[in-house]
Amino acid sequence: MLTSATFHYSHTIGFQANQGRGFNNPVDVELDSSGILYVLNRAGSEVGIRLAYKRVTICSVDQEYLGEFGTGGTGNGEFWWPSSLAFDSRGRLYVADEALHRITIFDKDGQFLDQWGANGSRDGELNRPSYIAFDQEDNLYVADSLNHRIQKFGKDGLFLGKWGVPGDGPGQFNMPWGITIDVVGNLYVADWRNDRIQKFSPQGDFLAQWGSSGGIAGQLHRPSSVAVDTTGLLYVVDWGNERVQVISQDGETLAVLRGDSIDSRWAEEYFSANPDEARERRNADLEPNIKTQEEQSREESANIEKLLWGPTAVKLDSQGRIYIVDSCRHRLQIYQKVSHS
Amino acid sequence: MLKTAQSSRQREDLALMAHLMRRAGFGATRDELDRRCAQGYQAAVEELLSPEQAAPIEEDVLRRYHVDQNSLMLIESCQAYWLYRIINTNAPLEEKMALFWHGLFATAYGKLNHAKAMVNQTNIFRRNGLGSFRTLLIELSRDPAMIFWLDNKDNHQGAPNENYGRELLELFSMGIGSYTEDDVKTCARAFTGWTINNAEYMSVRASRDSIWPHGRLDWQFVYRSDDHDDQDKTFLGHTGRFNGEDIVDIICLQPATAWFVASKLYQFFVSDAPDEDAIQLLAEEFQRTNGDIRAVMRTLFMADCFAADHVRLAKVKSPAELVGGTARLAGSHQFPEWSIVNLAMDVNFMGQEILNPPTVEGWHTGREWIDTGTLVERINSAALEMGDVTQPGVRNIIGRLQAVGAVLTPTEFVDGCLEATGQFEASSDTRAQLTRYAERLGNLHFDRKDSLPCTEQRVGGMLQMITATREYQLA
Repeated sequence: MLTSATFHYSHTIGFQANQGRGFNNPVDVELDSSGILYVLNRAGSEVGIRLAYKRVTICSVDQEYLGEFGTGGTGNGEFWWPSSLAFDSRGRLYVADEALHRITIFDKDGQFLDQWGANGSRDGELNRPSYIAFDQEDNLYVADSLNHRIQKFGKDGLFLGKWGVPGDGPGQFNMPWGITIDVVGNLYVADWRNDRIQKFSPQGDFLAQWGSSGGIAGQLHRPSSVAVDTTGLLYVVDWGNERVQVISQDGETLAVLRGDSIDSRWAEEYFSANPDEARERRNADLEPNIKTQEEQSREESANIEKLLWGPTAVKLDSQGRIYIVDSCRHRLQIYQKVSHS
Repeated sequence: MLKTAQSSRQREDLALMAHLMRRAGFGATRDELDRRCAQGYQAAVEELLSPEQAAPIEEDVLRRYHVDQNSLMLIESCQAYWLYRIINTNAPLEEKMALFWHGLFATAYGKLNHAKAMVNQTNIFRRNGLGSFRTLLIELSRDPAMIFWLDNKDNHQGAPNENYGRELLELFSMGIGSYTEDDVKTCARAFTGWTINNAEYMSVRASRDSIWPHGRLDWQFVYRSDDHDDQDKTFLGHTGRFNGEDIVDIICLQPATAWFVASKLYQFFVSDAPDEDAIQLLAEEFQRTNGDIRAVMRTLFMADCFAADHVRLAKVKSPAELVGGTARLAGSHQFPEWSIVNLAMDVNFMGQEILNPPTVEGWHTGREWIDTGTLVERINSAALEMGDVTQPGVRNIIGRLQAVGAVLTPTEFVDGCLEATGQFEASSDTRAQLTRYAERLGNLHFDRKDSLPCTEQRVGGMLQMITATREYQLA
C-alpha cells in the first residue's frame, strides 16, 4: 500500500492562440498509442468570429506543434461545446459535445467519420455529455451529466446499459463530470456537485467513494476529473479549489498540486519576438500576495500566473507523467511522478 | 368578466409593486408580484434593500459550462456573465445599483483591454452599492480598473496627473462649479502613489490585443508611499498633509456631494425631469446618515414622489433593463445556455455596451435609448423571447389564462395577458389596439384539445405584440 508519493513539476505546453499553434480554453487532452497529444479547445464565446477557435490541437510532449483540425459549428464534424476526447483501440478519436449532445468520431488525422447521439433522457439519449472513456473491450462510457447517470455504449453508439439517478447517496449523482477506467475495468466518476469521487465495478455496482465538501487536503470542491494509475493512486482535479490532489485508495492525500508553471517553449518564443514586453515582464512581480475574503483560491489563480486556474482534466502516461489541463491559462502543466513507497 | 378580477385597491397595489420592481429591479413575473404584494410594500422595499439576505447566484454551473466566463477574458463573455446575473439574481436591487454606479463611474473596457478588471470593478459596486458612499469612493479610488482608466498610475509626486482628481470631483461626487482648479490640483496630489502593481508591464500588455500567452493577469492596487506627495495641501478650505482618504472624507462632508448623489439617484430611479423638492429630501437623508446609500434608497422608494402617477411608465428602459427583464419574465436562461451571449449582443446592438460605455460620462439615457434602429432591435429581441411558448415563464402565463376560463373573449384575452405580464397601467388606446389584434381570430379556446398548440401560439403572438407597446418599452 502506498503511503507517500513525490511529484515534480516537469514543464508546460501551450499558450493562448486563437488558431494554429497554441490552445484556447482547452478542456481535455488525450494521448494516442504513440504518446502524441490531442488537446481539445472549447474556446468560448459562441459568436461567429470566435467559432474557428474551437478545434483539436495536435502536439508532442516535447512541445512540437503537429497540426490541428475541427472548427466551431453544428455541421458534421463541427464542435459547439466540445467536452471530452477518447481513443478507441483502433486509434479512432471520439469527441463529446455538451451543446450538440452527440459523439463525433474522427480518424487520427482529423477526418470526420461518423457521429451519433440525440438530446433527451431516454435510454441512449444524452443531456450534456461531459466526459467519455473506453474500456478494454471498446465499450464507451459517457458521463451524461444533466441526466445524472453513466451510460454505456458500443463504439458505434449502440446503447448497452446505464446506472445512476439524481441524488447524493451511493451510486447516485449530481451533475457528474469526468470519468476514468482503471486497469481492471472499474469506473471512477467525478461526482461534481456532490464533491466526491465514486468508484464502480464494470457492471455499475458501487464500490467506494472519496471526498467531502471543503477546501482542506482531502476535501473537494466540485471535482471535474479523475485519473487512476497502475498502482491505484487517484489523481483528482479539484476544480473549485483550483488544484489536483493525489489520493490513495484508502483516502489519504499524498500530494496537492497547485500549479508551478513557467513559460512554455511557445511562450518563450513569443517573448523573444516581443522584447519590450519581455523586459517589463522580467521586472514584474508575478507572485503578489493576494488577500481576499471570498473565493481565495480562485482569486489567487487569477492573479498569480504559475497557478492552476480552472483545471478541467487530468491524464496519465506510461512514463509517470501527469498532464493537467489548465483551462483558463490555455496550457497543460505536466508533472512527473518521481517516487513512491 | 374575468374570474381573476381584483378590487381596485388590489389592482393599485399590484400596479405600484410592478412600478417598484421595474425601477428597483428588472420587472417581475406575476407570481413574484403577488408574493411581494402579500408581504406588503414596505416589507418588499426592505427585502430589496437587503441583498445580503438573498440566496447567491450559483456561479459554479456558469463557470463549468461557460469556460470563457470562468477566465472572463473576452468582453462579450463578461457582458454575458453580467446579463446572466441580472436574469437570475435573487437580489435585483444589488444588480440595479451596480448598473447605476457603473453608469456614473463609467469605466470602459476599450482602454483597459482587460475585461475581468471591469467585472472586478462591478463587484465593488455589488459589495458597496448600498453601503457607505465614503467606502464606495475609497474602494473606487483603489480599483485598478479606475486607476488605469483615469491614469492615476501616471500620477506621481512632483509630476501629478490630474485626470482622476478632476473626474472624482466633477463626475463622481460634487459636480462642476463646486470647487476650484486649485482643488483639482490638490486632489490629484493627494492621490499620488495610488497605483497598480506591475504598472509598466501592464501598460505594455494593454497596448496590444494580440496574444496574452497565458491569459490576463488580474491587477492589484498598491500604495507607494515613496511616490506620494506628503506635503501640506489646502482642499475645499481644509489644510493638512492630506492623503486620498482625507480627500474623500472632505468630499463626503460637502452639501454639493449630497445634492449630486441625490440628483443622480433621482434621475436614475425616479424621473428624467428633476424635482428639486424630492432631490432635497434625498440629499438631506444623505447628510443625516453620513452618506448611507441604503438609507437614501429607502427614503426614495418610500417617498410620495416615487409612487406618483406622472413618474410611472415615464422612463425608457435601458437596453440591459429591457433584455434582462424580458428574460426574467419569459423564464429563459435560468440555466447556462450558450445562447446567453446572443442576448448580451442584443444589448450592445441597442446601444448599451455594458462594461464598455462610450465615455467617462457614461451613456446618454432617457429618450436617447430609442431611435428608429434601436427600436426595431428592442422589439425584435423582446418578441423573440416572449414568443417562445416553451419557456417556463410563458408557460406560466398560458396557465394563468387557462385558469381564467376555457374560452376567453378577445377582451378577456388581452386583459389576461396584460395582467399576467404586470402591465396594469396600459392605456385604453393600447388595450384597444391589442383587442383589435385579438378580434381577428375571435375567442381564445382552451377547450379544443386538437387546436391547443395553435391557441398557445396565439398567446405567444399576443405577448409579442405586448413587447411592442409603448408601455412595455417604458419603466
